[in-house]
Amino acid sequence: MKARKRIASLALGVVAMGSAATAQELSILTWEGYAPESITKPFTEATGCTISASYVGSNDDFAAKLAAGGSVYDIITPSSDTVQLLTLAGFVDPIDPAMVENYAGIYPEFAQNPALVSDGSTWAVPLVWGSVSLIYRPDQISGTPDSIAVLFDPAYAGKISMWDDKSAIYWAARYLGYDNFFDLTDEQLEAVKAKLIEQKPLVRKYWASAGELTELMANQEVYVSNAWTGLTSKEVNALNKGFTVAEFSPKEKSEGWMDAMMLVKGTPNQDCAMKYMSFMQSPEGQCALAASTGYFPVNPAAVEACMDEQTKKERQVGNIDFVKSLVMWQQPVRLDKYIEVWNAVKAAP
Amino acid sequence: MSEQSTLMRRSALPFLGLFALPLGWALLFLIVPYMIMIAISFWTRQFPLFVPDFQFGNYLQLFSDPQYYTVILRTAKIATMVTVAAICLGYPLAYFLVFVIKTERMRALLYMLVIVPLWVSYLLRTYTWKTILGTDGALNSALKWLGLIDQPISLFLYNQWSMVITLTYIFVPFVVMPVFASLENIPRNLIEASEDLGMRPFGTFLRVILPLSAGGVISGATVTFCLAFGDFVAPVLVGGPDGTMVANLLQSQFGAALNWPLGSALATVVLLIVMALLWVSARLDRAGRVALG
Repeated sequence: MKARKRIASLALGVVAMGSAATAQELSILTWEGYAPESITKPFTEATGCTISASYVGSNDDFAAKLAAGGSVYDIITPSSDTVQLLTLAGFVDPIDPAMVENYAGIYPEFAQNPALVSDGSTWAVPLVWGSVSLIYRPDQISGTPDSIAVLFDPAYAGKISMWDDKSAIYWAARYLGYDNFFDLTDEQLEAVKAKLIEQKPLVRKYWASAGELTELMANQEVYVSNAWTGLTSKEVNALNKGFTVAEFSPKEKSEGWMDAMMLVKGTPNQDCAMKYMSFMQSPEGQCALAASTGYFPVNPAAVEACMDEQTKKERQVGNIDFVKSLVMWQQPVRLDKYIEVWNAVKAAP
Repeated sequence: MSEQSTLMRRSALPFLGLFALPLGWALLFLIVPYMIMIAISFWTRQFPLFVPDFQFGNYLQLFSDPQYYTVILRTAKIATMVTVAAICLGYPLAYFLVFVIKTERMRALLYMLVIVPLWVSYLLRTYTWKTILGTDGALNSALKWLGLIDQPISLFLYNQWSMVITLTYIFVPFVVMPVFASLENIPRNLIEASEDLGMRPFGTFLRVILPLSAGGVISGATVTFCLAFGDFVAPVLVGGPDGTMVANLLQSQFGAALNWPLGSALATVVLLIVMALLWVSARLDRAGRVALG
């Protein structure tokens, strides 16, 4: 595959009088909104490397895709709670931070996160961060919701959605008042499972991608869901459907995540991969990503000049303490058990 | 036995030349993968991946944890409903094409119209049903325009019914094709004889046409059931929270759960179910033929 691709690009290069002879295609497995033209185009102009992006619907997809083999991807961008699993599974190579321009500008709390830097090696470079909060239709939900309870309210039966992801467990756990979200006991997990099964008749559809949630909201199939803060509201409101959606952080807290770039083991495109990581820490890369997703930049130094003051405030630039207001994702102590519980909820009648 | 002697008489070279490719293909892409799958079904999941082993824990889990057999039963239920609905729609359609349409050209044209949807991507056809059945969809809009409802009905989409409707639509051609062929092959003089002997049309249908087309029904039903049983697209696109089917479980074991051993055990069980079904179907087909003889 790779060899044939290289021969093909070589042949193309000859046709294009050598200008494309060095062009390499960087395959990125990432999230929706992370490879817009505002990133891929300037990146290709600056480096000669092209980007082809594939998308995941949840963090559990990364290991699954890599386990399938075939050395298809060069870079992956999982959230920090999944970095350790991918490192342990041997799917990635360590990164030399010295090769990443502007690395010093990243919040040290993120760059030096023990999940990202372990055994004396750096395994991942922060890319962007944000939260998972609740999205809703102010014209359909009465009052101003302030709690996760709205996801379990029979008044909205058939108009509720949830992300098809193990994090549904964290939401139910917070609703039930537990605070050890990532190390729930068997009894607590049973209670969480019962709560989520009880919620099922109220749920119209579990969404499996940001695009699907956008469609569900836009087509008036659902009025409330948990959502990747920023992205879906931006997409739905841009469609001008005659109604708008809003977001809120429940009193039981929103969830926080930080996505990081990892280098797939043995990638032949290491050169382009490192250029990509550098580009994504540049003002151009950080600002374009923040604009395309609505998420928060990880490199406050990089966005200093390319982001206006209002946006900086919204995106918590320089306010790393904002993480304290969130439940930052961690790898569950018993990951297998959590996934089994979530699968049992989905399989239940 | 006579086949073998025929083979013995011929030289091996042309034989290999003719069959090496299909046999090699079957071995490489069917037999070997099945063997690998069955072998992995005895492995053990061990964080972060899985390790070679020989134990029956995966099978034990499949039969003790309700989340697996519930879904297998649900899948069988939905596949059965789809099969029955597809036969109820497909058989009369094929009958109409063969016995009611008088001109050959008209028959060919209508037959093509039944088959043509198969040229459109399966994914696209399933997705289309979402836009028909949705809250803001074509069906609700039409009912509102006719003044039959004020509020859109949400019951059309994201439940097991929408899955059955979508899958039935997809699989009706798979019933029409074999039934059409078997009806066309019925010698017309048998029907005339039945009528000459004073049989009423319905009696002729029950005692001549239906038994002689049973083979087409059985093969159409078998194909429909097996394809519906293994479907994973309809649950994802038009199914609701209670629509998980066995192929979705497989997907999640090979995907999110990263538990290939359990996934392989489940796939092996599904394979056995389908093989049992094919065996029953072959028996039924043969029994039907004997009864007519």
